[in-house]
Amino acid sequence: MQPIGLGPHGERPFPADKLVLSDPEAERARAGRFAMAVVLHTTTSDWSRQELAGIVATLEHHDATIFEIVDCRFDKDRQNKELLRLANAPIHAVISLPIGTSGVLEGHRAVVEAGKKLVLLDNAPSGLRPGVDYLSVSSADNFGIGAIAAELTSPHVPNEGVVGILNYESEFFVTNEREIGFRKWMGSERPDATLVRGRFVSVEDAGAAYERLLAMNDDLDCVFVAWDVPALRVLATIREGARTLPIVTVDLGDEIAKELRKGVPLKGIAAQRPFDQGAAAASAALMGLVGRSPPGWITSEGLKVTRENLDAACDALWRKLAPPPRQPR
Amino acid sequence: MGAIPNVEQGTAVGAKKRRVGRPTTLESRGGSLAAILSLIRNGVATTRLDIEREAEFGRAVVSDRLATLERLGLIEEGHLGPAIGGRAPRHVRFRAEAGGVLVAQVDRASLAVGLSDLSGVLIVEHHEAVDLSDGPDAILERLTVLFIWLLDERGGKSRAWAIGLALPEVALIDANDGDVFNAAGLDVLQAWRNFDFATELSLRFGAPCWVRSNTQMMTLGEMRAGGARGFQDILCVRLDRSVSAGVASDGRLHRGSQGYSGLIGHAPTGEAEDITCRCGAKGCLDVVASGEALAREALAAAKDGRSRYLAETVERQGDVTANEVSHGAQLGDAFCAELLARSGRLVGETLAPLVNLLNPAIVVLAGALAHSGEILLAAVREAIYRRSHPLVTRDLRIVRSELAGSAELIGAAALALDELFDLPRAREWVPLGMPRLQPSFVDSLAAAKAQRRRPQASPPSPSPAP
Repeated sequence: MQPIGLGPHGERPFPADKLVLSDPEAERARAGRFAMAVVLHTTTSDWSRQELAGIVATLEHHDATIFEIVDCRFDKDRQNKELLRLANAPIHAVISLPIGTSGVLEGHRAVVEAGKKLVLLDNAPSGLRPGVDYLSVSSADNFGIGAIAAELTSPHVPNEGVVGILNYESEFFVTNEREIGFRKWMGSERPDATLVRGRFVSVEDAGAAYERLLAMNDDLDCVFVAWDVPALRVLATIREGARTLPIVTVDLGDEIAKELRKGVPLKGIAAQRPFDQGAAAASAALMGLVGRSPPGWITSEGLKVTRENLDAACDALWRKLAPPPRQPR
Repeated sequence: MGAIPNVEQGTAVGAKKRRVGRPTTLESRGGSLAAILSLIRNGVATTRLDIEREAEFGRAVVSDRLATLERLGLIEEGHLGPAIGGRAPRHVRFRAEAGGVLVAQVDRASLAVGLSDLSGVLIVEHHEAVDLSDGPDAILERLTVLFIWLLDERGGKSRAWAIGLALPEVALIDANDGDVFNAAGLDVLQAWRNFDFATELSLRFGAPCWVRSNTQMMTLGEMRAGGARGFQDILCVRLDRSVSAGVASDGRLHRGSQGYSGLIGHAPTGEAEDITCRCGAKGCLDVVASGEALAREALAAAKDGRSRYLAETVERQGDVTANEVSHGAQLGDAFCAELLARSGRLVGETLAPLVNLLNPAIVVLAGALAHSGEILLAAVREAIYRRSHPLVTRDLRIVRSELAGSAELIGAAALALDELFDLPRAREWVPLGMPRLQPSFVDSLAAAKAQRRRPQASPPSPSPAP
């Protein structure tokens, strides 16, 4: 299955696994001895570790170094401050995951204005110009992943059943795309089902958001949670006594894989390929540094994971252990 | 040009005739409110003193109108300005967050939706692939579902103050215009003729809707927020599945007598004289240099072995598009690179006479092909400079769009806001707080509903899927 989602500005997708530097470009990249910083929303999730592993492996292969890995802890102000600091750091490029489409323009713009190359993961802040201010956005096909999640949800929804969508309240391109893809699949394949929504303001709020959703909809049959870390909070809430419903989520992390192995209540995961996405982001940054314009929207297809194919999926997605986050120098 | 302008008129047609003699207090109040709001919104005057001077209203009138605008939620007090020999003046600011504009773009293979604030800044946008052969009803339903989702997430239906919609040129053709295009290859779009998107969307969302072609909306978007910002004479070229162009002269968008200006894809190239264009002619730019033409050539090259990359792509996914040509060129495939260079040369040679004619300050290349890499862009530049008079290329800038596929959405928001805050219209709705309450618009909606209820009218569309 090829990626089916379009980019933040309608860009057509370029497959992440096809993005490679030519031999002369690789030679120039090695000669450049480039240094980069990686700025993430969090470094504590398995997704982040795999994404970092892909970045690190690709940069090491081209003799480039990681100057610093920054954990912004889902804090927009912190991200702006860190990027403003990195704008004056002795680096050539920044790979950043913007925490939302608004509120983080200042920091990202500072990096661009300082002459550094910028590659984005997952989101593009409003106001940044594609191909001018940043080279590429590397992401999963989150629209397709939403459709996969809906497909995983469907068997657990009876005719004319009710499905809850528990999503992040902040304006996040990838979680929006997941929800739109999920709704579109359900609208066309399960028009009998009713969709209701709940929102969590932070990962910590996800369990309480699940309970709010239950309180407002006592006829729920299944819940889709936008990614694994809040899904783990929901599962913890269920263990603490909240009503048990089949849960479907996104991202195949270590903890969520253990939950899926149990078979209840987690029923399926629409997985990203974070290693490939990280590797593609690093390649895009290197391409920009050696003078080539990388594709504006680089994506990898999602993978449908159930208890039955869990081991095969882990083998396919977890290339190697990610390094722990490095401390700032 | 069919039904779409009818709705534009619908929002204006209902405007009541002005009576002879002095305006009533209500009428003059609407005028002063709209005028003061316009000064604040455009940043011309943002303190009481400046507003009094610019609007030429007395202090009491300005105070009263500012209080009214604040009560209506259209303005709020802002920061203190520097004091000049007295109390520091308090600035007022337009509340761009008071409402929003739903925007959408429908193209041959994709659609996009978004929500902008009242300053035209896109808050959120979404793009997805569609198949136009599903017909306009299906596209309308999809737009409706996505608009509802956008509004549910961000303040509800009342947030929609206006709608801006960009459609393919062909979809704007009135059924009464006859067969201006050959039916060959256009069967899919026949159903689009005379389909009244604007009225349908207005009825569903209770907001006035304005429609233009994709190319015209893109040109507006580039003028307001893209590479052409600050320029007055612009040639904006859309290189996508087909090729088209928008023109702005002295800062004003040129639409043509019937609104179809920009169909440069049907300019003759002198090449591929054996290939018939959908317009019925042979050798048009569209059949040799558009995304569709590239896809056709790429498929042929994949089959006869001229490109290993394209052959592998076809083997893997069964088809190939201009996107893969661009990928192939980036990966060093010589055939793909040559194909893009040829496309760029032909586009540049077609643009050269236009550059001679219009003497634009800037040419903006937009659309998926414009973002395919440097090869095509370089070929366009080379051909324009080679085939145009040195006088018109001396200071000419040729740039790639900075807005990618968002230009049409930004243009749609800009157009809707220009119309919404146009003084004759604003005078009617500003005293009421929001445009959906404008009497002439309410009347036009009621007329459209009545029209629907008549037996000969089409049955109402089903409600959107969840």
